[in-house]
Amino acid sequence: MKTGLIAFLLALPISSMALADSTGAPLPAAGSVSKAEGLKAWQRIEAVVTHPRCANCHVGPDNIPMWTIAGENKTRPHGMNIHAGDSRIGVETLSCSSCHASSATPNVAAHMPPHVGLPWQLAPVAFEWFAKTGAQICTQLRDPKRNGGRDAAGLVEHLHHDAKVDGFIPWAWAPGPGRSTPPGSFETHVQDMTVWGAAGQPCPE
Amino acid sequence: MITLNINDQDMRVDVAPDTPLLWVLRDTLQLTGTKFGCGMSLCGACTVHLNGQAVRACVTPVSAATGARIVTIEGIGQTPTGKVVQDTWQRLDVVQCGYCQSGQIMSAVALLQTNRAPSDTDIDRTMGGNVCRCATYVRIRAAIHEAAKSLA
Repeated sequence: MKTGLIAFLLALPISSMALADSTGAPLPAAGSVSKAEGLKAWQRIEAVVTHPRCANCHVGPDNIPMWTIAGENKTRPHGMNIHAGDSRIGVETLSCSSCHASSATPNVAAHMPPHVGLPWQLAPVAFEWFAKTGAQICTQLRDPKRNGGRDAAGLVEHLHHDAKVDGFIPWAWAPGPGRSTPPGSFETHVQDMTVWGAAGQPCPE
Repeated sequence: MITLNINDQDMRVDVAPDTPLLWVLRDTLQLTGTKFGCGMSLCGACTVHLNGQAVRACVTPVSAATGARIVTIEGIGQTPTGKVVQDTWQRLDVVQCGYCQSGQIMSAVALLQTNRAPSDTDIDRTMGGNVCRCATYVRIRAAIHEAAKSLA
């Protein structure tokens, strides 16, 4: 039954074209996925959200983006004294979009500041993931009071919407030459978030 | 054809919408005051204003500039803050080879337009994206403080 459900979920038409047009695939009924499967899905989600392509801008209230340079594994603060400020978009000093110019075109040149279709910015402070444990991130991500008011379906819809506007999340898997990508793909991440939601969003102890 | 408003003048250009603004300014419109330093948004030499915000023209597609107010180094002296900054730059002899200075001035003016009394930390954080091979940084910093005093 479990295997059949997973097979069903994996067979959902989640190609990038379908994501762009989708208003959100219907979620499996809550509780139809076991807690164990949900925790396995969480492990895969955790590997994505703690990856530099995500965590480097999910920083805390010091408002300093992090860098993991193409070709390197070392993570350090953004160079050039960049601070995103409390605005999280740099308006107090230098806007992120001054150098990270919004565009839906692919990131093709190595070492250029990456761009997406939305104005480059830090994630909200409530979504601090950098240097957080998986358990900490999990409890934040599933709490509507701390995740922008989203239930499990809302989180999946957020992923679909972000893809529609050429946003940050699909960028993680096409970040530009030399930059590492999180495990899996955007599509498998959406599937994992779906499975995790159906399992009741279990968190590791 | 794309219409751009540059230094308060409407200009029509026949370029592909994804052409970087820097190429349009220099090659198409012969406004060569804005410099090519790296072409990769890493040096700040190409800094112009788009609706008052400092942006790097080398990565700004011309399509993003359509309908916006663009100001380049050729026009910044027409603004009150720009005039003060240029006068201060001359008085303090900031310029050495000069290549980075268009970008430096554009970034400094954007800073002073939003922050009339920038601290050294504000200057660090706003001007850090404009590099100078001649290392005129000390004079740039002094000129920003001096211009702020004049504007106060």
